Amino acid sequence: MTSPFGHADWAAILPVGVLATTALLVLVADLFSGSRPQRYLSIGIALAGTAAAAVLAARQFGHNYDAFYGGFMTGGFASVLQEIVLVATAGSVILYAAIGASQRVAGMTAIMLWSACGAMLMTGAANLMMIFLGLELLSLGLYALCGAVDRRTARESALKYLILSSTATGFLIFGSALLFGASGSVKLADLVNPALVLNPLFSLGFGMFLIGLVFKLSLVPFHTWTPDVFEGAPLPVTAFMSVATKTGTLAVFARFIYAALPLGTSGWILLPVWVVAGISMIAGNVGMLAQHDLKRLLGYSGVAQIGYILVALAGVTPLGLRYALYYLTAYAFMNLGAFAVAAAISGEDEEGSKLANYRGLGRRRPALAAAMTIFLLALAGLPPTAGFLGKILILSSSVAAGYLWLAALLIVGTAISLYAYAKVIRVMYGREEDDVHDCRPFVPLAWASAAICAVAVIAMAFYPLTPSNVLPLVR
Amino acid sequence: MPLVMVTILLPIVAGALLFTLPRSDRILSRAVGTAAALATLAALLAAREAQWSVRWLARPFTAAFHFGATPVSFWIALLLGLCTACAIATTRVARTRDFVAQMLFLEGTMLGLFLARDLLVFALFWDLMLLPVFFGLVGWGEHPATAWRYFIYNFAGGLTLLLATAAFGIIYGSTDVIGRSGAHLVGAWAPWIYAGFAFAFLVKTPIWPLHTWMPPTYAALPSPMVSVVSAVQSKAGLYGFLVVALALLPQYVGEYANPLIVLGAISLIYGAVIALVQTDAKRLVAYSSLSHLGLIVIAIASGNRLALAGALVYIVAHGLFSAALFLVLGYVEEREGTRSLLHLRGLGWKNPRLAGALCIAVLAALGLPGLAGFVGELVILIGVYQAGYVWPVIVALVAIVLASAYMIRLYQDLMNGPQREDLPVRVDLTWLEGLAVAPLLAALVVLGVDPAPLLRL
Repeated sequence: MTSPFGHADWAAILPVGVLATTALLVLVADLFSGSRPQRYLSIGIALAGTAAAAVLAARQFGHNYDAFYGGFMTGGFASVLQEIVLVATAGSVILYAAIGASQRVAGMTAIMLWSACGAMLMTGAANLMMIFLGLELLSLGLYALCGAVDRRTARESALKYLILSSTATGFLIFGSALLFGASGSVKLADLVNPALVLNPLFSLGFGMFLIGLVFKLSLVPFHTWTPDVFEGAPLPVTAFMSVATKTGTLAVFARFIYAALPLGTSGWILLPVWVVAGISMIAGNVGMLAQHDLKRLLGYSGVAQIGYILVALAGVTPLGLRYALYYLTAYAFMNLGAFAVAAAISGEDEEGSKLANYRGLGRRRPALAAAMTIFLLALAGLPPTAGFLGKILILSSSVAAGYLWLAALLIVGTAISLYAYAKVIRVMYGREEDDVHDCRPFVPLAWASAAICAVAVIAMAFYPLTPSNVLPLVR
Repeated sequence: MPLVMVTILLPIVAGALLFTLPRSDRILSRAVGTAAALATLAALLAAREAQWSVRWLARPFTAAFHFGATPVSFWIALLLGLCTACAIATTRVARTRDFVAQMLFLEGTMLGLFLARDLLVFALFWDLMLLPVFFGLVGWGEHPATAWRYFIYNFAGGLTLLLATAAFGIIYGSTDVIGRSGAHLVGAWAPWIYAGFAFAFLVKTPIWPLHTWMPPTYAALPSPMVSVVSAVQSKAGLYGFLVVALALLPQYVGEYANPLIVLGAISLIYGAVIALVQTDAKRLVAYSSLSHLGLIVIAIASGNRLALAGALVYIVAHGLFSAALFLVLGYVEEREGTRSLLHLRGLGWKNPRLAGALCIAVLAALGLPGLAGFVGELVILIGVYQAGYVWPVIVALVAIVLASAYMIRLYQDLMNGPQREDLPVRVDLTWLEGLAVAPLLAALVVLGVDPAPLLRL
């Protein structure tokens, strides 16, 4: 029997394949590790596999891979985003070293790796089927992971995510069906046909498709699930969701608007998205103000941060895309770093997510407090961090593209967010001498993760890596 | 490593290294801090002509980490180095080590701001220099709430500065423009860019009605830090007007001069009148700063060459006497446990050296001839009059009379009058404190007698 797919097809998805196999290895190794839980074994194998996949994905950069008859395209844009997904996966898996009692983490680690495979498929997906496949692979894993601890809020989180996310997927798949009906093809390339714009099927399908994406990106008005799900899910899962899901969805969105829109329509047809991004920057930051839980706070923060990234994409300029990727990379490091600090000070039950437990951290754990300060400054867009440079680049690209109103909204949103981020800093360095129970002694992996992220966040401010040749392609 | 970068990084690195010292060793932290500040001062003097540049961004506009003193910024940087060294030498606050580290961070970030030759780097250090003060307010301030007011106001200014910088970069193509002659921007966007810059500078200076963060911040900060903040950080906005607004967008400074002069005049009178009725010594000096800086804003808005020369003299003079005032008031507060004018009286009888130091600072603040403040005021007034603005000169003269009233009241209430029997006798100014204030006062006298080095620019 001959396979319809050749060697080139498998080469293109090699990083994904390696990651999927690693997940199996994690499970097998756990089988043979005896009765004693081997937390570090699982994490070690997962990290090694992630690193291998990252090397393979990096080697693909600069070559055009076009696999599965135009269904999966990687080499430029997708490679960069795959690296971000892999960084997010490594940064999240590491947190299992610090969370909970010494339970088995092999199952959860494996599921997380498979979820990451889904996100990586989304980054290169160039037809509607592949988008759906990647999204479902990503989401299915997350449904399980959200409820993977025995806690009331976790079960609530898992159920909420299952119901709402499936609804969004429903919108997306129905939109895909309508787009297929309008164009007669599942390829994104076939949507680049000016005649389609007049077809009501196309408009309807496009609208529903966008609603699905906006939901997954948790933009206003479809953002309300985010804080609840983030709060309930285990810390590593929250970290993973906050970066990897958004990266995958953003990849689909960017490929769609850069490569699959009929010529000359991007101005008006995307206007609702920019409006939604503008509102998200305000609403997300306002929502942050009253939070007392770090995971909820970062959930709202993510709503606004995705808004910033979309501002870079407004105008659909090549330079804007590079800045969006730069900011997304920076955002991945800031967020993962913040979660790593939270994990490092957590005891048995994720105390690290409660802001009250940060009181006096500047004296108890000066290094962790300093790292957390760097991440919060970066999220707020203050120097000397990548967040500052990212904001400058985004502002420049939106001003250059003529979206001054979005730049102004970004400024207003940032001004609001300053209070929320500085509140955490104040709690850490304030003078109140309260009796806070001491945190976990020393978790090398979580500390290392926080340190790496801190260095990355500062270094990126001085070496702005914005790779060229990252325009997404379709065929 | 180039000398300019040494100047900026030395205090920052020294501040970070302080954290390796034992937490409780006050003397050592202070000694190391003072030594670092003095070394910075020496490096600054050596780096007067030096420049250093390395590419930062190539797209969407060119930007570079470009540092080097301009004639104007050299003097302000010198003032900063001097004030910081003097302030650290006599720091006596809780957790001295951490506080001295913040003082050094403050010095380094402000040096970065004043030595920056690139607008984007200027904006970067603008935000960065706010952080040590925020940490100072959070960790050592009297009321935590003032930290928010300081933070929100100044970062709002920082954000408009950022947006204006981005827009400037996009339109002009480069932000490596500070101190470069001929870099002018005109066009439909230029007034808006000017508005963004002006807002940031007016908040930072501050000017009425954007000043409300300032008196509580000055009152809440420990006196070593507030002496540096009021002496130098408040000059960041004025410096911005000189090297950014006037140099890059001169047309619009002239076009919108009148609103600026009106705001300056209101600050001038408003600050003076409020200072008259203050009973908190630090707040009194804070409002007097509002009044004095209003005069400098008028000078800059008038655009007259003589007024600008006077503005530079007055920037330095105000830095010197406000640093000295806050330091001496800090010494008084440390001794008596209060700085309220209602509770203190007659300190001068037992503390003649303390009274003498305060006396010189007060006289400089009210513009006594022979001290630097007088030269600045006089030259500004002549210049503004030459530029054809008569009524601001009249307003300024009224404010100068009021300045005599509130400054003499400050001295009278603290030092003169019948000695209070219920106040225990404290030690007079120690030799170290004397040594810390003396350079500031001496500079006031020297520049008052011979202001030529400043006027020649």
